[in-house]
Amino acid sequence: MHEYQLKLLNFIKDRRECNVEEILDGTGLSTDQVMWAIATLRDRNAINASKEETLVVELTGEGKEYLDGFPEENLVRSLSKSGQESVANIKDEIGLMWAKKNGWITIEGNMVRLSTEGSKAAAKDFEYTARKALKELGKGGDAAAIRTKYKSEMEALKKRKLIIITKRSTVGGISITDEGRKMLEAEKVEGIGQLTKDIITSGAWKKSALKRYDISAPSEETYSARLHPVREFVNYVRRVWLDMGFVEVSGPIIESAFWNFDVLFSPQDHPTREMQDTFFLSNPKEIGIEDAALLERVKRMHKSSWEKVWREKLAEQALLRTHSTSVSAHYMYRFANDVKSEYPLKLFSVGKVFRNESIDYKHLAELIQTDGIIIGDNLNLAHLIYTLKSFYQNLGFDVNNANEFMFKPSYFPFVEPGLEALYYDKERKDWIELVGAGIIRKEITKALGTKKTVLAWGAGLDRLLFRSLKIDALTTLYKNEIGWLRTRKRLEL
Amino acid sequence: MAIVTFNINDFGFKDREELKEVINRIGLEVEEVKGDDILIDVTPNRPDLLDFYGLKRAIDNFSGKKALVEDYYSVKNGAQIEIEVGSGVGKIRPYIAAFVAKGVKLNERKLKYMINFTDKLADTYGRNRKKMAIGLHNYNVINGNLVYDASSEGKFLPIGAEVEMDFDEIIEKHAKGIRYSNTIEGKGKRVYPFLKDSEKILSMIPIINSKATAINEKTSNILVDVTGTSKKTVNDTANLLAASLMDQGGEIFPIMISYGKKSETTPTMGYREIKTSLNKIDATIGAKLTESMLVGYANKMGYPASKYGNYILVKVPPYRLDVLNYQDVVEDIAISFGYDRVVPVPVRGVSVGLPGDLYEYGDEVARYMIGLGFTEAINNYLTNDETEFSNTMRVKSDDIVTIAYSKTESITMLRSTELPGLLQDLGRSVHEKMPQRMFEVGSVFDVRDGKVHERVNLAFVSQDSKVNFAEVKSAVASIMAYLGLKYEIGDDDDPAFIPGRCAKILIDGKKRGVFGEINPAVLENFKLMEPVVACEINLVGEVSYFSD
Repeated sequence: MHEYQLKLLNFIKDRRECNVEEILDGTGLSTDQVMWAIATLRDRNAINASKEETLVVELTGEGKEYLDGFPEENLVRSLSKSGQESVANIKDEIGLMWAKKNGWITIEGNMVRLSTEGSKAAAKDFEYTARKALKELGKGGDAAAIRTKYKSEMEALKKRKLIIITKRSTVGGISITDEGRKMLEAEKVEGIGQLTKDIITSGAWKKSALKRYDISAPSEETYSARLHPVREFVNYVRRVWLDMGFVEVSGPIIESAFWNFDVLFSPQDHPTREMQDTFFLSNPKEIGIEDAALLERVKRMHKSSWEKVWREKLAEQALLRTHSTSVSAHYMYRFANDVKSEYPLKLFSVGKVFRNESIDYKHLAELIQTDGIIIGDNLNLAHLIYTLKSFYQNLGFDVNNANEFMFKPSYFPFVEPGLEALYYDKERKDWIELVGAGIIRKEITKALGTKKTVLAWGAGLDRLLFRSLKIDALTTLYKNEIGWLRTRKRLEL
Repeated sequence: MAIVTFNINDFGFKDREELKEVINRIGLEVEEVKGDDILIDVTPNRPDLLDFYGLKRAIDNFSGKKALVEDYYSVKNGAQIEIEVGSGVGKIRPYIAAFVAKGVKLNERKLKYMINFTDKLADTYGRNRKKMAIGLHNYNVINGNLVYDASSEGKFLPIGAEVEMDFDEIIEKHAKGIRYSNTIEGKGKRVYPFLKDSEKILSMIPIINSKATAINEKTSNILVDVTGTSKKTVNDTANLLAASLMDQGGEIFPIMISYGKKSETTPTMGYREIKTSLNKIDATIGAKLTESMLVGYANKMGYPASKYGNYILVKVPPYRLDVLNYQDVVEDIAISFGYDRVVPVPVRGVSVGLPGDLYEYGDEVARYMIGLGFTEAINNYLTNDETEFSNTMRVKSDDIVTIAYSKTESITMLRSTELPGLLQDLGRSVHEKMPQRMFEVGSVFDVRDGKVHERVNLAFVSQDSKVNFAEVKSAVASIMAYLGLKYEIGDDDDPAFIPGRCAKILIDGKKRGVFGEINPAVLENFKLMEPVVACEINLVGEVSYFSD
């Protein structure tokens, strides 16, 4: 008999009827071990047991996100600051729907306003019953007890796909049978269990039988220490670029507006340069532009193409880069007419970029982007399209199938012509953007001091990573829950 | 990006898929078709396509439904009336362009298209009306010449109100006044731009128009005024609107704008000529195209074009505000040719891939840590004071990189150390099996003498009922031996650790790291219940980019 079975039988032999909890406490075995012992002992008629049903509630990925605040709560909180908002400006339809259902808002014509109830709900100390219920369920308490308290909330949470309710059957009324007692008796016969150095070297194993083990007994889980999936994925992308003959470069995430925007032909009054979308810094506030001649050329570029006024102060604003194209810009400048280099120069970078977003399970403030440039002569759209097709083919896309992969015209201020590659997502039944690309405008290469042609592109990697990890919330990636890190499957690329 | 919504049947396509295909091919994106509504994402370089008539024009040109007429979009009539620009607007909103469109055929839907278009245009291209705003008036009720000026006082019955209001009241109480009050600058007594005719105020600019001159679906003669702080934007917008109204059956009558001694007539409506060499086009697209093909491709994008020696000469219509020079024309020809017809060609020359040193170094360290049994964590760079300082009981430093404004409350700064992130990660994993060992290798940031410094650190934590100082000390020894770094240790008083169980790592006499047992008060702050030992070592003292 296996030690788990033995422990269980010994524990119940002098007791009348036990349940699983008592056996867990009494034997020190794990749930898996106890359940296995019960199942195998019952098969051999060593114990009697009856079935009991319990409810098990699990939070979905979205449900876990909601623990920090439901969309309707976020909505009324932001409304309590702004007072009112037009329906068109409210992107979160779920929040809008539930806030309305709860009577927290009124919609008159186009405008959404807080109701009295809504003002209460926007208060800091407001306890939203839906969230309370979700929180208790998340703790893994007795679901049946929680259901008596929050019946309607649980129904709603289920409908909103925030929780999954499953019925699980467990056993109770466990008692030993005559057959079980016989087995315990038989166990008293001697034999060698765990081999030891003494048993091996003394030859004792020759004189006594080695007991047979039950090989179906459960074993403890072991986990390997592992690299983070982001590193594994980034390394894969890096290897593809390296195999294609590209040289890896990198650059700072803290930049001046000059390198992030001005050099790349983005007009100084462009909406993306507002606080709303970009993380500007309060320390340091400014980053000086060291090359006065470059500054002068960029200034001239702006004044001849955009507004008559170009302010150096605005260009000096310190920010977190919004794209890694800023790294490409630095390298265009650095390799401008560099006589030592052999053209075409093929460079790539992978790094973080930042967006001033309200973080939820679909939006991150920190994203990973890969950028690339080819600097040389006689480069054209045909080369750009070839390079991007090769890259995505290596990442597993069927690039020659027009129903799965395509290029279309697009607009980015720093390239002309501009294009993007898209793939068809079968689950979402929609074309999804993979990469923005183009030929860098002559105004820019001229300001950076090169007569070469530059092909350039920038691609977000998060969506692809998300896809290959099969996770349902983007934020899972950076929460570093060790249970997930230990048990996640290998990346499927 | 701006999303516009139109009725799909208005484009006159029987096959909706064909329409979607054309829209895609000219570089826009169909977001959704809901019933008869088509939602289209318009890129910010093409304000002309925010307009139904602009979009229809582009689609008809591309699909060959409409023949191009040379110089069609131009002014053929003489100036109708005059607008005198007063000195009041000189410093606040100096520019105005205006014209009258006569014989415009409106109906309810067309009126809605026009209002939506001008609103969207003023919000995006006009930067929420600050840089540029548009006024539309019923020309039939306008009396005599107009004055564009600014004053602190004025009273009229604005759209959306029942009684007359003065300028101050509109700013304080009227919905539009509240929304666009930021367009009015200046200290002390504020002055407001307005437009008036010989007897009445037409509008308070760029806030609200008067009810007296409001347009409706029966209006056929429309006065359009465009005002703003950028002369180019104001004139460009007037051209855009004039073209749109011509497509709606209107005839354009210019207006003379008089700035004291100087005067000019708007809209300007000229076609610009751009000469592009045939070689340049071939060299950009990577395809050999004949001259007559090029002319055809240019026509499809709405440019009248002709051959001119080794050049092709295109005429840029006045509504194309995005075309700066030949590069933009080449792009349009490429779009017209079709990106799917470009035959991919490999870049010539052999090159050898070369990984970046910084990334490789981090990768090597990470792999060594895996061998020691630590699982990798990657945390966000963005964090907050509470995690970084209060929870670790460390003293708040002024030398950190701070964020000026964040939409997410929990973001205030960039991390200057990795340890708090790892402790936070452990806090999310308390119910998981022990021991828990995690590490992170990555960048941390601080500011010294006004300059940003980026360093690369390695931090690791180990949590279990039996962890102790000796375990972390031995891990440090193993890592330092691997990295080939000679070090000494000394007492340290980092408040995140237990006094007397905390050591600093010294390399060449300089502090480069710290390790020890985490203070139970800190464990409590991160909601941890088992003991934790931890270490953070600075691997790269100063990351510098763009230097050999």
